[in-house]
Amino acid sequence: MSDVPIRVVVVEDNPQIRRFVSDAIRKSGCMASETATARAGLETVAAGDAHLVILDLGLPDMSGIDFIRELRLWSSLPILILSARTAEHDKIEALDAGADDYLTKPFGVGELLARVRVLLRRRSPPDEPVTIYHFGEVEVDIARYTVRRAGEDIHLTQIEHRLLAVMLANAGKVLTHRHLMEEVWGPGHAEQEHYVRIYIRRLRQKLERDPTQPRHFLTETGIGYRFQPRVK
Amino acid sequence: MLDYWFRARYLLALTLCALITALTLPLRGRLDLANIVMLFLLVVFIAAVKLGRGPAVLAAFLSVALFDLFFVPPHLSFTVVDAQYLVTFAVMLAVGLITSHLASHIADQSEAILAKERETSMLYELARDLGAALTLAQVVDIVGRFLRAIEMDSAVLINEGSEGREALTIHGTLPIGDRARGLALTAYRQNTTVNDADSVFLPLAGATRARGVLAVARTRGALQPVVEAVASLSGIAIERIHYAQIAQQSELEVQSEKLRSSILSSLSHDLRTPLTSLVGLADTLTDTLSDRHTGASDNAAETAAMLRDQSLAMHRMVTNLLEMARLQSGRVRLNKQWQPIDDIVGSSVRLLDDILAARQLDIALPPDLPLVCFDAVLMERVLCNLLENAAKYSTPGTPIGLLARVCALNLEVLVCNEGAGFPADRLDQVFDPFVRGFQEQTIAGTGIGLAVCRAIVSAHGGTIAAESTPGKAWVRLTLPLGTPPEMDGDLS
Repeated sequence: MSDVPIRVVVVEDNPQIRRFVSDAIRKSGCMASETATARAGLETVAAGDAHLVILDLGLPDMSGIDFIRELRLWSSLPILILSARTAEHDKIEALDAGADDYLTKPFGVGELLARVRVLLRRRSPPDEPVTIYHFGEVEVDIARYTVRRAGEDIHLTQIEHRLLAVMLANAGKVLTHRHLMEEVWGPGHAEQEHYVRIYIRRLRQKLERDPTQPRHFLTETGIGYRFQPRVK
Repeated sequence: MLDYWFRARYLLALTLCALITALTLPLRGRLDLANIVMLFLLVVFIAAVKLGRGPAVLAAFLSVALFDLFFVPPHLSFTVVDAQYLVTFAVMLAVGLITSHLASHIADQSEAILAKERETSMLYELARDLGAALTLAQVVDIVGRFLRAIEMDSAVLINEGSEGREALTIHGTLPIGDRARGLALTAYRQNTTVNDADSVFLPLAGATRARGVLAVARTRGALQPVVEAVASLSGIAIERIHYAQIAQQSELEVQSEKLRSSILSSLSHDLRTPLTSLVGLADTLTDTLSDRHTGASDNAAETAAMLRDQSLAMHRMVTNLLEMARLQSGRVRLNKQWQPIDDIVGSSVRLLDDILAARQLDIALPPDLPLVCFDAVLMERVLCNLLENAAKYSTPGTPIGLLARVCALNLEVLVCNEGAGFPADRLDQVFDPFVRGFQEQTIAGTGIGLAVCRAIVSAHGGTIAAESTPGKAWVRLTLPLGTPPEMDGDLS
């Protein structure tokens, strides 16, 4: 990491939630700027030197979706959404609008910091593209099309390989069904989301130690999937 | 009045003939007889056009008689010397009769056209009035008034019951007995006109079906087409009012549905926000305590962890309560997708990490289970509730089982545990809201978890049942399999 302190902007109208989120961020060694409204949040981000935005979707002065759209006009900062709503629709809309990840309330501090770490790591991509990945007992070389599990070669079909590559490249990030469909099968297959689910099941069966309790290819119910490289 | 005009017309014809005789008499000798005949024919013609057929015929005969009496020599005698005058008389009579016939025919026709026009304009007014009617009572009133104006007793029978029920309410002046009611019902059901000795029953036909029946007393022989027009106009009006009411009703329902869901979502927000603070603040407390490394911190950290667990338990209860409220409002739209059940088994276990961590989980899912069409978020709630119950109501340390299999045309999922099980006499009741298997106050719960499960599974067209044997208990749920979408070769 560089010497510049990492600054996280917390946009949340509830003072208690804002406080514990900010406390957790500070404790992890970052700086936190607290704002209670979307307007103030946008101004803080615009002032510069921010690295991450944590955004509550239910703000009083502006819808979270509009906040994301406006921010995305001039910034590619990672955005983590906090959502108290149960409607998966809102989260999908926020993710499609450009948010990077979400946390459903209530959430623990550990969960919050894990998500923050993943998003901050993605902020500084390595100099050379990564083609070799390790997770669990699996070793993947994307460039050479080889997958080994506990030293044994595993055969993947072309589609399985492409899906795996997309998941690995977006490690830690939630990917909506639609997004995966477009990345792997190309546009125009919006009605065939069950393909994604079937192929994730195949990957789990080939790569997970216990496919019924996956530790790497996680379901984000009603939204999509997330690849979790390291197990807590 | 009519009689008077009838007699007056003949009198007028008589007077006209007398008048022309009196006027032409002085010209006798100066005018040719042929021209005098013309004047008489003119009178017959005028009588035919203005007074009608009968007076015209009278005028024709009278003219011949007067012409003979006063103008044909010998005067003042019906004797005819010159036989050729007989031809004159015959032609005169024939022309008079034919003229009177033609003229009166034309008069009849124009009379008929006028009547038709009056009828049309009355119907037009009726249509306009019915078009402006907003209630059934107004329609009935307008139709009644219209038919009274053309001197017909009528009654309108409208089915005001709901779809499928036949409750014809009677409005109008025509008395309807039991027999008449039966005939009206026949007309209504078969959507055809039913004729009786003294009344006629016409269905008030809308575009889709009969909306009621118009009963009209048979005062004049044939049924006027105007009555049929009235029936069809009022049928359309009643149907329009019916659909307007439906539109208004559904508008109201949409409004109240919006209100209900906005109340639920703000309630949900208001309840979850403090719980989120509690969980987060408890975590912060744990961290702070572990940083201090003081001797007393163990106890305090434990308290903080309990605070967190209880807040999460509270959150699960709130979620179930809100879910129940949403499901009971009756209009939950399921976001059904074809998916393997594995997806939500894994995520449910992960969500209940805290509760299930200490337990051995035996999960048996065949790798080739077919896809099922369900709402993932709701079914995940079902599995979470079942797994949470399985953990809560079982002997600590015993394994918890979850297995899925295809059973006939259903996907069957069983969640099993070892412990006291369900009370044998209340296996069905455990799915009722606020009913708990045992009235155990030691285990926190609202008795709503299984009720939510049943509501969700039923909404998917599935079944859920509790079963137990001594020492073991399980909940069995089924979801209909259906036909999963095909996988295209080129996409896979």
